Amino acid sequence: MTVAAVFLIISLIILSYSAVRLSETGLLRKLVLEIATPIEDVINISFKGLQDVWKRYLFLVGLEDENRRLRHENAVLSGQLNQYREGYLEGIRLRKLLNLKEGFKDRAVAARVIDNDRTTLFKTVLINKGTADGLRVGLPVVTDRGVVGRIIETSWHASRILLMIDENSNIDALIQRSRTQGILQGAGPAGCNLKYISKVEDVQAGDVILSSGLAGVFPKGLLLGVVTGASRREGGLFQKIDVLPAVDFGRLEEVLALVAEGSTQP
Amino acid sequence: MILYLLLPLLLLFLVIIQSTILDIFTLRWISMEISLTVVIYAGFHLDALRGGLLAFMLGFFLDCLTSAIFGLYTFLYIVIFYFSMMVADKVYAEKPLFIASFTGLCMLLEGLAIVLLYRFLLGADIFYAIPRIFIPQAVVLGLLSPLLFRFFQHVEVFLNAKDSR
Repeated sequence: MTVAAVFLIISLIILSYSAVRLSETGLLRKLVLEIATPIEDVINISFKGLQDVWKRYLFLVGLEDENRRLRHENAVLSGQLNQYREGYLEGIRLRKLLNLKEGFKDRAVAARVIDNDRTTLFKTVLINKGTADGLRVGLPVVTDRGVVGRIIETSWHASRILLMIDENSNIDALIQRSRTQGILQGAGPAGCNLKYISKVEDVQAGDVILSSGLAGVFPKGLLLGVVTGASRREGGLFQKIDVLPAVDFGRLEEVLALVAEGSTQP
Repeated sequence: MILYLLLPLLLLFLVIIQSTILDIFTLRWISMEISLTVVIYAGFHLDALRGGLLAFMLGFFLDCLTSAIFGLYTFLYIVIFYFSMMVADKVYAEKPLFIASFTGLCMLLEGLAIVLLYRFLLGADIFYAIPRIFIPQAVVLGLLSPLLFRFFQHVEVFLNAKDSR
């Protein structure tokens, strides 16, 4: 009974502590992330490779020899073409990121997405840069399309990003056309909701939502998303505004973390 | 002794496999929470200290790798472990039907606790997750749990045999 009480109290203390304050990642958590990241990376790369092998080659078994030879050649050429295409697309993405990087006053650190956990309950992704590259908890993360989220956990060479569609995510936002300010909260698979916008405000589908820069986490003017619908029917003082995020979280590959030089942790 | 030193690494490996390979098999629609069945199995078969430590470590690793609220799974796994222990003291907990129903129930309770903690700690509504994620997860995990329990029994026998040598 005493053992149970001790474990329960320790776990409650951990939960309460992390619920009330955003803290730097502890040493144990950093170690766990450091150990897990390369293993996850290897597993994901291996699985992707296996999937590619399955798609490209295994279906060829059983065809005529000639056909097999031609298809093999075709597959090799397709593989090479895919590699070049991947390289070309990566070049375009990196060039966009580089252009974006030069557009920020803050230092920006480019990182690769290792694991994407966004379709289970918690919408987070793991990236391959950590405190060794200057990243820390609370930093905003963007792509050339707009805001991705913020860092919630860091180890030396990996960080976890809370995506803006997670229900735990709140970003100070404004409507570009009317300059009305509100809070953009994640709504899971539904995207995001813009909250605390009075019913008297004019909000239309297609309105662009930007970061307002008020909380000091996200720089002002970053693209967050587009209004897809606004309803005044629900009770209360505020409208229900649905927002489609600008970033397609299913296609995240490279991101930029914005490191504000000389600033304190948000 | 060496097994006890290796145990944290084995548990971490389980959580990594769970959050990568198993998620791919379920097309990332639901999460295959094998770690929960390990905690329940521990509740049925281990003592308060060893099982509590196991549940604590599993929850901690899961928090490090997947949870958006740090400490959430550590707390829930400890609660589920002691709940399982209490239940195992009062009923015969070896029948497959009981194992399946109890695992499904624990999964649902865990989901409900997550939804309520989100509501009260963060003010966020994720009630949609109950029908979309937790109920399918509870059904799948419940159906698989008798097989997983049998597998864990083999592992336990193997580890005990190694330990006694």
